[in-house]
Order: sequence, then structure tokens, then C-alpha cells
Amino acid sequence: MNCPYNACIRETHELRIREGDGEMLTEGLVVVHEYLGEAEQRLRRLVLRGPIAKTAKAGQFVAVQVQDSSISSFDPLLRRPISLAEISLDEDEITLLYRIQGRGTEILARARCGERLSIMGPLGQGFSMPEAGELWLVAGGIGIFPLYALAQSALAQGLTVRLFWGGENQSFLVSAGLKAWQALGLPIHLSTLDGSLGDIGLVTEQLQGRLLQTFGQTKLTDQAHQLSLNQIMVATCGPKRMMQAVTELCMNFAVPVQVSMEERMGCAVGACLGCVCTLINKEGTLIHKKVCQDGPVFRGEEVVWDESC
Amino acid sequence: MSPVDFTTMLAGMTLRNPVLTCSGTYGFGEEYVNYCPLEALGGITLKGITPLPRLGNSVPRLAETPSGLLNAVGLENPGLEEFLRSYLPKVRKMPTEVIANISGFSLEDYVQMANALQSDSGLAALEVNISCPNVKHGGMHFGTDPCSAEEVIAAVKATTDLPIIAKLSPNVTDIVGMARAAQRGGADALSLINTLLGMRIDIDQQRPLLANTFGGLSGPAIRPVAVRMVWQVADAVDLPIIGMGGITTWQDAVEFLLAGATAISIGTGNFVNPQAPLDILEGLKSYCQKHGRSTVRDLVGLAHKA
Repeated sequence: MNCPYNACIRETHELRIREGDGEMLTEGLVVVHEYLGEAEQRLRRLVLRGPIAKTAKAGQFVAVQVQDSSISSFDPLLRRPISLAEISLDEDEITLLYRIQGRGTEILARARCGERLSIMGPLGQGFSMPEAGELWLVAGGIGIFPLYALAQSALAQGLTVRLFWGGENQSFLVSAGLKAWQALGLPIHLSTLDGSLGDIGLVTEQLQGRLLQTFGQTKLTDQAHQLSLNQIMVATCGPKRMMQAVTELCMNFAVPVQVSMEERMGCAVGACLGCVCTLINKEGTLIHKKVCQDGPVFRGEEVVWDESC
Repeated sequence: MSPVDFTTMLAGMTLRNPVLTCSGTYGFGEEYVNYCPLEALGGITLKGITPLPRLGNSVPRLAETPSGLLNAVGLENPGLEEFLRSYLPKVRKMPTEVIANISGFSLEDYVQMANALQSDSGLAALEVNISCPNVKHGGMHFGTDPCSAEEVIAAVKATTDLPIIAKLSPNVTDIVGMARAAQRGGADALSLINTLLGMRIDIDQQRPLLANTFGGLSGPAIRPVAVRMVWQVADAVDLPIIGMGGITTWQDAVEFLLAGATAISIGTGNFVNPQAPLDILEGLKSYCQKHGRSTVRDLVGLAHKA
């Protein structure tokens, strides 16, 4: 459990200027709440109408109060952080996709159309977008959800987008929105653990194959290749171990990578320090950043993946 | 409806109202400004600081419990020097009373911080945390032994001209004894209560859920314990009490006032409802009007007289 880098550090804790960032407490009107795909996958699609869409960007999240609206209760106590899967400015709507996997999401799943849910948001820092070139998205399981909003805005910006997505099996991938992805008309590399759809194996193998195909067998460092490398940026979301592997692969090819981290959150606004992520800064010093406020998106190269930190 | 006077006198401070926020739940005062204007609050208590910066504990640092929250942050903070340089200049401009919270591992630690934090710093008071359960000797041995508590409070009191608020741990057999010790040490007020030591076990992984094994329990789950302790101390000790421990609604706040708290502080409740302070102020006003009280001060300790 002990962090191998237990030295105390002196890091200037920047004070964030929060003016005009649009973050607010508001109510979202439930306009759609349904199973996403097969019910047995326990995936839900929740569309909320409200002012949050106006200032939200891909990679950000909202903190939703999960409460049976008919009985006021503080159990479960905390809001649930859920990433934005779609942001519709025209309709003032945000789409949240989630999996029912505990008491909180079970209660949330009961919210009916016409109800209003208390939400805080948009929270955190989203993905940054490359100005030109290709954006490669690498998703593991339901890590696909926040990447959809990113794909949409990248395409709107004229970027080339490519998706690598790994899941348990065909049934999962289809339920979790494969059709919607296919409708975007971008190249998709699928992998499943049982081989029922796409390649058998891990998504990282697909990514590695594509990186090698693009850049050749050797680790390239000369300037000409650096230029071409800079044309590609990777954004990833999924299990921690997968994101770590994606980061290591990308670093081998000097491809910049953004990772969307997950951690248990308390306040969701940076006040309680419950959800820290350990980073290593340019000086080689270990620092803690707040997943809720400084993240959830970080530069993969900066993340210290050791669990004990 | 007749107006209600919210003015609250506490440890030499004049607060615009009795609603404060708890240390460790409100950052350094900036995090909630989009949800609750600082000028609406009686005051805020800043995240606890230590002489040196601390990275704190590993994650997971949080675990939810029925109507409660376990935390083991481990006093992560930028340290005194960085606090003085980067935070204090901002804090002194904040439109509310600001209370700093200090923690230490030795008597010298507390004295060093008290020495650097005087009334010309713009702070309104110092809350002395002798009750952090989440780090080894995180002040908690000062908080469970009356002699140590008296000693540390006396040392801090002798060093700074700011009012001293002693934040007491509920993890003791005799809370009144601890309160009396703080009073003997010269405390101007008491914060009651810090978190209750607890733990959860992940039954799938078959190991403790928190990286630190133990954590401090907060939230509505601990409120009855807090109300009981406020009641006992209010009965026995002549010091103003800031009541805290699970306050989330105005009804909760009223309970603490009736039990004898002069002011109340909201902690984990902010996570549930970031506008809880505003809702509580609104509710307190209606309650006073309904019960024919022109000032919220009239409610303090009222249940003892019944």
C-alpha cells in the first residue's frame, strides 16, 4: 500500500479561475430513459434537457443526484459522476450512457420521463482537440461512452477519426451503440475477448498493429517522422490497465495520448480531494491532481499508473 | 413576515449568520462559488494545513456507506509556506469570515503555524484540528488525551492573537472531559464533531475498501452522535459550540441549535446539495418566524430548558 515515492513535494497548487466556465447546479428534464440495446447488458441511455448542453464539451461530466423522487432520502448519499456521451446544442440536451452496477445506478435507472433530476455540471476538463490530422479513439468496454461526443465534435471540426474498440463479446458491442458509431462513417477496429465480433483479443493489439503499420517496425525519432507523428493524437477511455497499455504504446511512437481517468468522487468540484490521480511533472516530481476538477482527462505520459500512489 | 436577525457572536467574531462550512469539505473557498456565493455564508473553514506539504493517502480515499461517507484523504495540503504565498492573499479578499484549520504531528508544528497566522493575516479565527483520524498521530492523540489537548490549545493560544476554536474528536469515551481540557487550554470555541472512525471491506476483493484501511465517517449517518455530544458539552462547558456532523437540511441545523450549538457547519452536506447553506438559511428564517423568534440566537440551547 505504501507509495514508493513517499517524499513530500512542493507543488504550486494553482488556483483556478472559474468565472464564466458555465458550471452550475440545475435540473435536467428526463426526455428519454431507456435500455441501450439488450436489457441483460444493463446499459441505460438517459437524455436530459437543460442549460448544461450550452457550455459542455466532450470529456466533461455531470454529477447526478440519484434519489427516488417520491421519497426524499440520503441513501445513497453522493451524486454519481457520469460522462457526457452526446451534447446536443440544438435541443439543449445531454445524453448520459451508464451501466447499472450498484445501488445508485439502480435507483437512477428508475427515473421516468418528465421527472427532473438535480445535476451539477458541466464538470472537469474535457478532451483537447488537435487542430488538424487524425484522432484515434481507443475504448475498452463502456469506456466508449464519452468518446462518442468527442468523435462528433472532431468530425464537425473536419478531423479524421478512427475507432479502436474492445469489448467482451458481440452482444455487448452491439448493445453499447455499435450502430451509432457505424453511422458516423469512420473506420472501426473491433476486438472481442471471445472473437464473436472483430478480432479475438485485446483492443491494444489492434492499436499496436495499426501503429506499426503507420510508422514501421522501428521506434522512430528522426525529424521527418516526428512531423508525421504529430498528425495523430490518441484519446482513450476504459479500464486503467488498458489505458496504461495504450499510453505505453503511444509513447513508443511519440504519439500524444489523452486518458480519461475514473475515481470515486465526493464533491465533484475539487473541494474534498477524494479523487486524486498521481502525475509526474516535467521536473520529475510526483504531484496529485484532482480527477474531478483538473481531469478527468489527463495527458497519458504524465500519469503514474502505480496503484499505490 | 417579521425579519429575523441572524447575527451570531462567536469567539470574538461577529458572523452575519450562524451557517459555516466544514474544513476539508470546502477546499480553500473557491470551489463552490458557482453554487453558493461566499457572501451568503457566515463563514468558511479552510482545508486543514500542516507545516510541510503532504501528498496524503493513496486512493481509494472514499467509500460510501448508508447515508454516510468514509474518507481517508490523509491531510493532503500544500503546506504552510505555499498556503501563505498562494492562498492567503486570495482568502483575505473573500467576502465572508475565513477560519484557517491547522493540523500537526507535534506541539512545535502547531506553534509554528499559529505563529504564522495572526489577526493581521485577514483570517477571522484558527480552528485547531486535534482530531484527524486518517494519519498516524494526525493530531488525534492530542484529541484523545485531555492533557495533550490542553497543552496544545494553550500553546497555540499563547502564540497567536486569533480566536482559537478547538475541533474535537468524537472517538473518545468522555467528550465532556475533552471539551473541559480545551477550555482549560484557553479555547474560545469548540467545533463538535470531527468524523467517527470506521471502515468498509470489499467482499469481492476480500480486503479493506479504503487504501488507508480506516477512514472518518461523516454525513447524515453520524448526526445523532453529533447532536448528543453537542448536548452533553453544552450542558457542561461554558464555551460557544459550532455544531457539525451530518447537517444537510434546515431541520438538521435546528436540531443542533436547540441542542446548544451557537453556530452550525455544513460539510458532507455540500456534496449532496451544494446549495445546502442557502436552503438551510431559508429554512431557519421560516422556522424562527413560525415560532415567533426574532433572532436565531433565541434557539440556542432551547431544548435544554424544556
